[in-house]
Amino acid sequence: MTQIRVVRIHNELLGTYGDQGNAEVLAFRAKFHGITANIIDVSYSDPLPRNGNIYLLGGAEDSAQLLSLEALRRERALEDAIDDGAVLLAICAGFQIVGNSFWANGREVEGLGILDVASVPGKKRCVGEVKTKCSILNLELSGFENHSGVTKLSSGVQRFASVSTGFGNGDKKTDGALSGNVFGTYMHGPILARNPELADLLLTRATGRQFSKIEDPLATKYAHIAARY
Amino acid sequence: MRLTLSLLVARIAAWASRTVLRRSGQALPGKVLLKLHPKAISELSAKRRVILVSGTNGKTSTTKVLTEIISQLGETVSNRTGSNLDRGSASALMEPSKFAVLEVDELYLPKMIEQSKPEIVLLLNLSRDQLHRMHEVRKVCDRWKAAVKNAPETTFIGDVDDPFIAAVLMCAAKRIRISFGGRRHLDGAVCPSCGLYLKWSQLNFKCSCGLSNSDYEMKLQSGSAAYRNCELANIVGSNAGAKRLEFSSSDLERTVEKQINGLATTIRLVKNPASWSEALTSLSSQNIVLILNAREVDGIDTSWLWDVSFENLRGRKIIVCGERAIDLVHRLHVAGIDSDTETDLNHAVKRFSGNAEIEVLAAYTAFFSLVTL
Repeated sequence: MTQIRVVRIHNELLGTYGDQGNAEVLAFRAKFHGITANIIDVSYSDPLPRNGNIYLLGGAEDSAQLLSLEALRRERALEDAIDDGAVLLAICAGFQIVGNSFWANGREVEGLGILDVASVPGKKRCVGEVKTKCSILNLELSGFENHSGVTKLSSGVQRFASVSTGFGNGDKKTDGALSGNVFGTYMHGPILARNPELADLLLTRATGRQFSKIEDPLATKYAHIAARY
Repeated sequence: MRLTLSLLVARIAAWASRTVLRRSGQALPGKVLLKLHPKAISELSAKRRVILVSGTNGKTSTTKVLTEIISQLGETVSNRTGSNLDRGSASALMEPSKFAVLEVDELYLPKMIEQSKPEIVLLLNLSRDQLHRMHEVRKVCDRWKAAVKNAPETTFIGDVDDPFIAAVLMCAAKRIRISFGGRRHLDGAVCPSCGLYLKWSQLNFKCSCGLSNSDYEMKLQSGSAAYRNCELANIVGSNAGAKRLEFSSSDLERTVEKQINGLATTIRLVKNPASWSEALTSLSSQNIVLILNAREVDGIDTSWLWDVSFENLRGRKIIVCGERAIDLVHRLHVAGIDSDTETDLNHAVKRFSGNAEIEVLAAYTAFFSLVTL
């Protein structure tokens, strides 16, 4: 049986908005595909393994976001893993961390520069249900956003999704950014619980395998109902 | 004069609301009063000894027992139904009394401290809750810190094992810090005073900036949230000059026993990761009903379900109802825990045998619709 490693980065810092559930959903969906996904929790003080297949960054408050960035800067493990083809799903504060710059605790800081985007404080906080269409998946997605940052994509950078309801990157048009196997978005929910087909796509990207459609009626029902929240 | 007139109009509004519209009208008179006289809280508090209670969990039950404790000293008013925004406090203050014991919403606490000039403020705890409204726990904590610094005459009493409360108490001129021997905190990874990674050793924290739960004025033995809140209420009481009163845990647990379709149920209020976790670790029955809603006071985003470990439910019979039952059923499904759904509690209890004792964990709005039936 194929084994993959799902690395949940700094969950004690980046677990404020339920995004840790993304790892559980990946492991759960992987089982249907005949894959064993081992969840590896890496805390702030631990070295980040370079051999992960999928890396997860979640939402956080400002101080926690800065600490996570500081820990990721201690080594280039995340950048190296991505160069080797690993998948990264970065949500909210995590999305901002992997951009070129963002604001936290009232000052601008340099991000990891993995995605060519920049975040600045918005005028008002973006809170509520968000509905988007993700073109690479040709899939309608739903989630919940809760952020005060506004993110601008550099020219030529692909959006993760187009917004039909909500704020997304703050312009009410685009949400997140996408580059290779790096996915950034403002959508909580957690996003993979509310959109299980996105979890399947990440598993496909991580393993290079195409999977047949999963029969999990409850997950499908939940995704359909949540799409109308 | 303005106050007298405003009070009169607010009382007429309360009477009309009760008799004509048949509403319980806890918040309405206060709302009318504040509209007519925005400084009403300051004026109505001026000749009273005011005690405020705030925190994420346990406000209503702690306020209830503290009101009983303080009542030993004289006439005491309170917003005992949990109507804890400024209007609920204003309603309570419309009646004359020597003391006022008021439960205050976390976001309204700074304003209430400024206006009511309390003698004592009891700070219970802070953790993630209704994040669509509170946004970030740290920001609530920062607002409290600023409010505490501006109230040097007030005595702040609180549970220093909660890093957020410890950080707030660091700013207080007069304080009584109480430790129950330490405990883990879901949002305790970052020091709320300085922003560094908070160092924990077992159940205790100590930051290089000085924030620690080993700096306290009183140390008590550890215990459940209900026990801690009861002890805290008695410490506040004794500080105000009242004698100690004993309460049972169920007085403080927001638990109601009720017959539903002839079956004995114990219904408990749960509303955020901290209160769910507390309730899940103390289950005694094999027969569980979970009710989840996502209205404004429940928190409209249910992502937090993924922050709670439901492992204690494994092996029990679980029926889920409520407007967001599917969110919870799916959450349990991914954890490998089976559950069924039913439309409401009446139907849910029918799924258990005749003499089963059923424990019900109900979200805020579900709890209140059940206990006032």
